[in-house]
Amino acid sequence: MASLGTFLLLAAFVTCSYAAVVSVVGARRRSRRLIESGIGAFYLICAIMTAASAVLINAFLTGDYSIKYVVHYSDSVQPILYKLTSYWGGLDGSIMFWVFLLSIFGSLAVYVNRERHRELIPYVVATISSVNMFFLFLMVAHKNPFTTYLTAAPAEGEGLNPLLQNFYMAIHPPSLYTGFVGMTIPFAFGIAALITGHLDDSWLRAVRRWTMFSWLFLSFGLTLGMIWAYEELGWGGYWAWDPVENAALLPWFTATAFLHSVMVQERRSMLRVWNVTLVIVTFFLTIFGTFMTRSGVVQSVHAFGDDPVLARLFIGFMVVILTFSFGLVIWRLPLLKARNELDSWLSREAAFLVNNWVMLFAALFVLFGTMFPTLSEAVTGTRLTVAGPFFNKWMTPVGLVLLMLTGVGPLLAWRRSSLSNIAPQFTWPVVAGVASAALAIGYYRIPFWPSGLCFALCGFVVGTIGQEFYKGAAIRSRNTGTDLFTALVGLVGKNKRRYGGYIVHIGIVLICFGFAGNARKLDEQMLLKLGASTQIGKYTIKNNGVKLLDDGQKQMTTAYLAVFVDGKEIDGLYPAQWRYRRHEQEPTTEVAIRRTPAEDLYAVLGGFDLADQSVTLQVVVNPLVNWIWVGFGIMALGTGIALLPERSFAFALAKMPAEAAATTVALLFIVLLSGGTTLSAQQGMGGGENTRTSFYARNPFEKQMQHEIVCTCGACGHQTLAECRKDNCATSHEMRGTLAAMVDQGMNHDQIIQAFIAKYGGEEMLGAPVDKGFSRLAWLFPYLVGATSAIAVGFAAVKWTRHADAPAAAPAPLDSALEERIDDELRDLD
Amino acid sequence: MTHRYIKLGLTAAVLVLAFAGLMWSTLQDGTEYFKHVDEVMTNPQAWEGKPLQLHGYVVPGSILKRQDTLEYKFKVQNNPIRDVNQGHVVEASYTGIVPDTFKGEAEVVLRGKLTTSGFHTEPNGVVAKCPSKYQEKASAGS
Repeated sequence: MASLGTFLLLAAFVTCSYAAVVSVVGARRRSRRLIESGIGAFYLICAIMTAASAVLINAFLTGDYSIKYVVHYSDSVQPILYKLTSYWGGLDGSIMFWVFLLSIFGSLAVYVNRERHRELIPYVVATISSVNMFFLFLMVAHKNPFTTYLTAAPAEGEGLNPLLQNFYMAIHPPSLYTGFVGMTIPFAFGIAALITGHLDDSWLRAVRRWTMFSWLFLSFGLTLGMIWAYEELGWGGYWAWDPVENAALLPWFTATAFLHSVMVQERRSMLRVWNVTLVIVTFFLTIFGTFMTRSGVVQSVHAFGDDPVLARLFIGFMVVILTFSFGLVIWRLPLLKARNELDSWLSREAAFLVNNWVMLFAALFVLFGTMFPTLSEAVTGTRLTVAGPFFNKWMTPVGLVLLMLTGVGPLLAWRRSSLSNIAPQFTWPVVAGVASAALAIGYYRIPFWPSGLCFALCGFVVGTIGQEFYKGAAIRSRNTGTDLFTALVGLVGKNKRRYGGYIVHIGIVLICFGFAGNARKLDEQMLLKLGASTQIGKYTIKNNGVKLLDDGQKQMTTAYLAVFVDGKEIDGLYPAQWRYRRHEQEPTTEVAIRRTPAEDLYAVLGGFDLADQSVTLQVVVNPLVNWIWVGFGIMALGTGIALLPERSFAFALAKMPAEAAATTVALLFIVLLSGGTTLSAQQGMGGGENTRTSFYARNPFEKQMQHEIVCTCGACGHQTLAECRKDNCATSHEMRGTLAAMVDQGMNHDQIIQAFIAKYGGEEMLGAPVDKGFSRLAWLFPYLVGATSAIAVGFAAVKWTRHADAPAAAPAPLDSALEERIDDELRDLD
Repeated sequence: MTHRYIKLGLTAAVLVLAFAGLMWSTLQDGTEYFKHVDEVMTNPQAWEGKPLQLHGYVVPGSILKRQDTLEYKFKVQNNPIRDVNQGHVVEASYTGIVPDTFKGEAEVVLRGKLTTSGFHTEPNGVVAKCPSKYQEKASAGS
């Protein structure tokens, strides 16, 4: 099978070179047949890569240990999900996954645009094929995932690193790769536009959605990485300015800048060189980021290791990209001339321009900081490094300026605003900003710099966006005669990019809100003897001992901590260390988190002594951190709305306002209702029945106890009391009943455990505490919804772009542009 | 026209200078020297008090922990343990939680300052590198 895989990779490489050459020749000779042949070959690459992926996945699933890659990244006891994720667990496979994704995205983009952007397609095919060729060459010549052992192959694999055997790690890399790889599509269209000279705005329209889509996945990947660091690695925080994190952040900055400046080009035909440059730079940064993390140029916790050969290949490729792309830009400069000039610095395009500069500055700065150790070593011979505080010092003002622009931009009109007509616009947002500043600084005693200012700006931006929504809806309601709410839905539906964008901004505000919470972060390390307690913030934490358990796959050491507030026990925390078989040297930390909207109480088990039951702990209080995740959910929702096809929301635009309103309200009702039922389902664990043998725990404490005690019936394979729900399992019924009775008597954790030990003898019924499986699922919910909606929307977008050849769709952009202008002018009249 | 360019040039120059000045001043207290034990210990006086990231290997059996505290004392040598020659050795101290990978023979980077009584590691300043974490170096070279 391995030789089949290698053969497929070779075949893909040959097909790529064929597609690239034949497309360019076809375009030069204007030969339809050659171009079609190139496109055909391009689709074929996709098929070949799918087959190659199938071969690799098959090797993982069947445990084909003659292949080195399979040996290094899997073993036979791994769950199937992680056998699948082993595909991209290592360097070779991740490159292959890259090619696989790029071939799919490329084929999709070409298929969707093959009629509308006929003149660009051959060069798009050639560009994407060339990029694919580079990565395929890497694999064929240097990093073949199908390399086999020359001598006897081992009988068992080494297993995937336990840190990677984690749900977030299963979806974090593919999401980031989707974002990275997706950025190749705008680049290919940009290059095609440069080569053909079709530099009007049509190529921008082809790539806008792709950029948004890739941007969404990049953001999603970054967020997942943050969650992984926070919940699995036990950093106590979520961002450490690690080079690999930075690598993913760099293209995010430039892509964000592009999403904004593209609007200026559409509206005012300015910034055309700038936009092409941003697309090129974004693509370059994705390659550069891959280079940084894969070649060992920078030191990092999760770099893949030194590889000078790979580094040289990558450097060569990057030089080619830069010279070729910017050579094209310089050659086409005359065609890229702006048709308008900046009229005034008090205009929306100026705000966009400043936003772009700041974004680009942020990207350059992070790049500089990340490369600083390497640079300083090359220049002075001494390796100097910069740490987190340095980045924070610089990026805090950058972030605040961006946040401010988010609020100011929408208040300025295109072309020019005069001070007298924007002053009233600023009234309410400024009031909101001052009010939140007063609340934060005056009431909560938060220092002005930087958190207090951040809260003030958050208030200001929310004020601006609220005002935008209100004014737009009010105008629309007056013009269409509908009620305010229908008008609001109609407004968003009519102008999805604009109002979707505002919703994204609300998400950003929430994320900044969460970041600002860092000002009140508490972080302590301590050693607690059995029964001793410590104070952090308002919490008192008491050590109730350590327990060791083994479930066959891993050894679990768990600390039992009780949390008190004002002398009352409110919760328990169960941080643990797990040691997987064959990875005993690399224990994974299982963080215990007590989440509330206001703050997280976070505990990491750093060390323990089974003999005297003492534990070493890191305890962190992280204020507002959950708003970051919620903010991302809202961001995803906003992006989803902006990506929606033009025709959706039709119901809200219907001619009959009364019915439309009814539909909207009904729909909203359904949404709220379904939201409500999920919520109550989540709380259903605490249902009000007072039956003692009930399946369900009636309060969190009882639930926790059910999870700690294992059913002794012997038939269910040591399930906990919360899990053993077989109808005929009288034992678990009885045990749950006993437990419920004890809870009712007001016995505490230790008394119940002691009573159970006394009654059933031995400690066999003590399970490992599962303190988070459920709450985690609940927290995953918002972003799962966001991601699903985004994917659904992506499909819809693809479907929509396909139908756009229909004549009816043609006037749509004109219409929306007109609408927006009217909107603007109406507002200026106000 | 030329007038405009002069204005633009001046603005750019001022911005660049201001930026460079800010960068310089923050870099001054933001940077740390990445040094191997040998480089520092051949001339320890020169490095005392400077922010350092010290690279070395933990001498096996040298880790001492004071009972019921999080205070550690250990020795770090320049060369990997399998080398016959140790290279220079420095005494180091640390208070806090150590990573699981921190043990004898481990490759470590310590963030902190050199004092006359040894290397004083700052809180959370121990990074123990585990070469097999993502890819074993041995297998990368094939």
